[in-house]
Amino acid sequence: METLVLKGFGEVVKTVTFRVRRYDPEKKEIPKYEEYKVPVQKGMTILDGILYIKEHLDHSLSARYSCRMGICGSCGMIINGKEKLACQTQILELGKDLIKVDPMGNYGIVKDLVPELSKLFNNHQSVKPFIVREEEEPKSEFLQTPDQREKYAMFTDCILCGLCLSACPTSASDELYLGPQALAQSFRYIVDNRDLGFEERLNVVDSKHGVWRCHFSGACSEVCPKGVDPALAIQLLRKVMTTNIFVKYQQKGATRGPERKSALGVS
Amino acid sequence: MRESQIMFLQYLTGILVLVFGSFHFLLISVLSPSPEKILYIYNGANATHVLVGGTLYYTWVKAVYSSLIWGSVFELLLTFLVYHVFNGFRVILSELIPGGRAEKIITYALLVVALVVFIWGSRTVVVSLAGGL
Ligand code: SF4
Ligand code: FES
Repeated sequence: METLVLKGFGEVVKTVTFRVRRYDPEKKEIPKYEEYKVPVQKGMTILDGILYIKEHLDHSLSARYSCRMGICGSCGMIINGKEKLACQTQILELGKDLIKVDPMGNYGIVKDLVPELSKLFNNHQSVKPFIVREEEEPKSEFLQTPDQREKYAMFTDCILCGLCLSACPTSASDELYLGPQALAQSFRYIVDNRDLGFEERLNVVDSKHGVWRCHFSGACSEVCPKGVDPALAIQLLRKVMTTNIFVKYQQKGATRGPERKSALGVS
Repeated sequence: MRESQIMFLQYLTGILVLVFGSFHFLLISVLSPSPEKILYIYNGANATHVLVGGTLYYTWVKAVYSSLIWGSVFELLLTFLVYHVFNGFRVILSELIPGGRAEKIITYALLVVALVVFIWGSRTVVVSLAGGL
């Protein structure tokens, strides 16, 4: 049989077997693994392999993806036992002839490799991941020094892929645990000098299933494809919470720059 | 009480259990016999054992443990231990059975058991201070 190849990639180097977990909750069948032989060309990622399967071998396979360049955070899955972005994982770099692909853990499943991510998004939303201010429309900029930005800069790189929550052992046992992603984001905003939302986040973060439930296994930081270190954020957040017992955590809100006119000349 | 306050006490009691527990074990090791220590001298003339300091003789141990200072150390150790152990259980169980009524029931049940253990333990300390046991 002629090998179908994908355009835009190098020559076919070898054939690998993808062992993919299949599950359709609507069919009420128990999950199973199916194997597919994929000819691997140089440069192919796991996502390309999955799309090859979908196009040429089995149209019914479902996966989630969008940007194909590690930015949208849609294609998180468990590849050979480790949480990774499928579009950022080169098949040949894995150096294996058998590749096991599972959907992310600690979430429900919509179908096959598509996780049900409402837990991730709800937890993220619950920590108010935005700068909380009273005024509706600020008329001037909030000033921030490079040092002040450095305090949270790393955590702004989160793309909400959810891999950290999938790898987190606490999230596996405690379904109400906020999880590394939401906790890292709450820290990111709490230490932002423009923010005034500390008190509003306190009830969620400093709760029974909040920041104190982390076991510091570090799995989140290990798997994060963006180099965010949620485990560090959690430790720093605990420091803020502990200090807050003795000395109230003060958020002054950034000083204001000069009032500006908008581009249309309306202030 | 905020979770941060509860957990601050959890870590603090952990350290204190270590400190007070060390006192406790230190005391035992000071009392305990060792090859260098002469435990007692046998007085052959009237066939009696004459105690030399640092032994685990029952009366000796009892005398040490009945002093007010050691009674206080044990009572504090008991307090720290009970808090640390039962809050630890609460944390573990709330992770395994999170949310809803079950979590509340577990919390209150543990509180009751902790109180019973604390009262029972305190009773032992008090009774031994009063010279009983
Ligand atoms: S912290 Fe990292 S692993 Fe977690 S959601 Fe953000 S980018 Fe993904
Ligand atoms: S498809 Fe966007 S991150 Fe992989």
